[in-house]
Amino acid sequence: MKALVRLLPLIQNETLKIWKKKRFLVIVLVLLILIPIFTYAQYRIKETNEMNFKDWRNQLVQQISEYQNTLSSDRIPDEWKRSQRIAVQQLQYYLDHDVNPNSPDGVTFTRSFLSNAVTLFFPLLILALASDLVSGERTSGTIKMLLTRPVCRWKILFSKLVALSLYVSLTVVVSAVLCYLISGAVFGYKGWELPVFTGFVIKGSAVESGFVHAIPQWHYLLMEAGLIWVSAMTVALLALMVSVLVRSTAASIVTMMAAVISGTLLSNMASSWHSAKFIFSVNLQLTDYLAGSPPPITGMTLGFSLVILVSWGIASLAVSFFVFTKQDILN
Amino acid sequence: MRPISSGNLWKIIGISSVLSTLLLIAGVGFAVKDTLYPKGEAFSESAKVSVLPAGGELSEGNDIVITAIGDSLTKGTGDASGEGYVKQVVALLKQKYPGKSVRLNNNLAVNGLKSDRLEQLLETDKGYSFALKQANVIVFTIGGNDLFQILSGKSLGNLANELNLDKLKAEMPQGLNRLAQVVKRLHLINPNAQVVYVGLYNPFYDIEEFRSGSLQIQQWNERVYTLLHEYPNMTMVPTFDLFENTIDRYLSSDHFHPNHAGYQQIATRIVQSLE
Repeated sequence: MKALVRLLPLIQNETLKIWKKKRFLVIVLVLLILIPIFTYAQYRIKETNEMNFKDWRNQLVQQISEYQNTLSSDRIPDEWKRSQRIAVQQLQYYLDHDVNPNSPDGVTFTRSFLSNAVTLFFPLLILALASDLVSGERTSGTIKMLLTRPVCRWKILFSKLVALSLYVSLTVVVSAVLCYLISGAVFGYKGWELPVFTGFVIKGSAVESGFVHAIPQWHYLLMEAGLIWVSAMTVALLALMVSVLVRSTAASIVTMMAAVISGTLLSNMASSWHSAKFIFSVNLQLTDYLAGSPPPITGMTLGFSLVILVSWGIASLAVSFFVFTKQDILN
Repeated sequence: MRPISSGNLWKIIGISSVLSTLLLIAGVGFAVKDTLYPKGEAFSESAKVSVLPAGGELSEGNDIVITAIGDSLTKGTGDASGEGYVKQVVALLKQKYPGKSVRLNNNLAVNGLKSDRLEQLLETDKGYSFALKQANVIVFTIGGNDLFQILSGKSLGNLANELNLDKLKAEMPQGLNRLAQVVKRLHLINPNAQVVYVGLYNPFYDIEEFRSGSLQIQQWNERVYTLLHEYPNMTMVPTFDLFENTIDRYLSSDHFHPNHAGYQQIATRIVQSLE
């Protein structure tokens, strides 16, 4: 307890340092620019649909029919067909139970925005916070002053870690809130209680609906945000490690971006390379498990992905602390 | 605005982010619980009863709502403009009834659909019945794949050299039985709409060995007409004559589906049959 009290000023110092560097402001600005763009795009889609379809059911029926047409084509690879077959069965489930899966409202928009942002957009925002946490001190030379104070090195890194985690949580929550506020102005602030189906079990290209249950959308959104937080924290811990290992901030950002992007590419193409499922960035799309979309590599489950992400997180923490406490600061 | 002192700023950031963290961790907990220990629950939906539009002549009502089902002909395969006959029917009906709202409700055609699958869809698929119930005009094509796609999985264009007239003859009774089921289902779902079936044609009329296939096709059309004749709201438009002497003009390059002009002729005929 006493140790924590002595750590608190350090954490406060690190938190304020990130704030003064205006990193969080940049994140909020990026969100304030991007969310209206996506809202407008969604609004155009909604307008087209309203022009062509009298009812969301008609639209859904048409969508299912279009997927079926893709399925009947011989030129589509089997992998795509599999995911389309799964999508058809899920849409059909919504249709059969008279629930609109894409109701135009602020909460639904937020839900789909967050789940689309989890593999690339959130990692990018997190990198803006984390990449120069240590390497930035080195570039500016302030690391020497930091380390000459009578404080253990691990405490310095630990306070940076806590400050980073606080901002990661804040980023996820602020994104969701901004998304809701901005899109709600266009689509309305409703939709908290709408039912969302979860619990689809995928076996091959068939969907088993034995475990499917409806939950209110606010609950779904909460679970989704939680899973995004796990992904984002993993990226943050890795970025912290890279920032400890690499001298320049630019190199740190490039390394992490390369890792994250390659994971996204691998998820799309490496379904036959089974060991790829141990790479952290293939596991970032945790929200897919809630929605019941097929995982990038067959056999992956939420439990598996969580274990992988947590392992990567712990490993990178260990490396960070080991290197940071032992490292010689030369320049 | 006065700058906030660092002490207060720290309090604001600290408290809000700790609360956010707790909220998110709760979210993780719910997600893990929900995914790892899922409980299936029956979802009681509010069943929506859709009201059938009134039957009768199109010129009497204010709205013409069209739903199309069937195979690639209804999909519009072969038409480079993507319109097919369905969209041209909509356009022609707009011309025919200027004051009325003419709307394509859904075109649910699927390439390669056969009559057994269509029957299954009509029986089980709520989306199909929903879209059909809204319509006062239903257009459909089916049977072409039953008769011609004998070797399933092969694309239709390559089939000409393997087509076997005896097999065609053998397929016919089964296909007709299934079509009878389709027609029955259609009537159960929506007895009020005007239903138009587009008759089959022989796309291989210009190939000497397969010209006699036209006789089988005509037999099919005649039997189908007999089926439809039971229901006064159903009719069939013939298409076989378009693809005999003028086959080059109306058939697309895959030598199976009509081209834009071919679909235009079919659309004209459908609109002529509607009142």
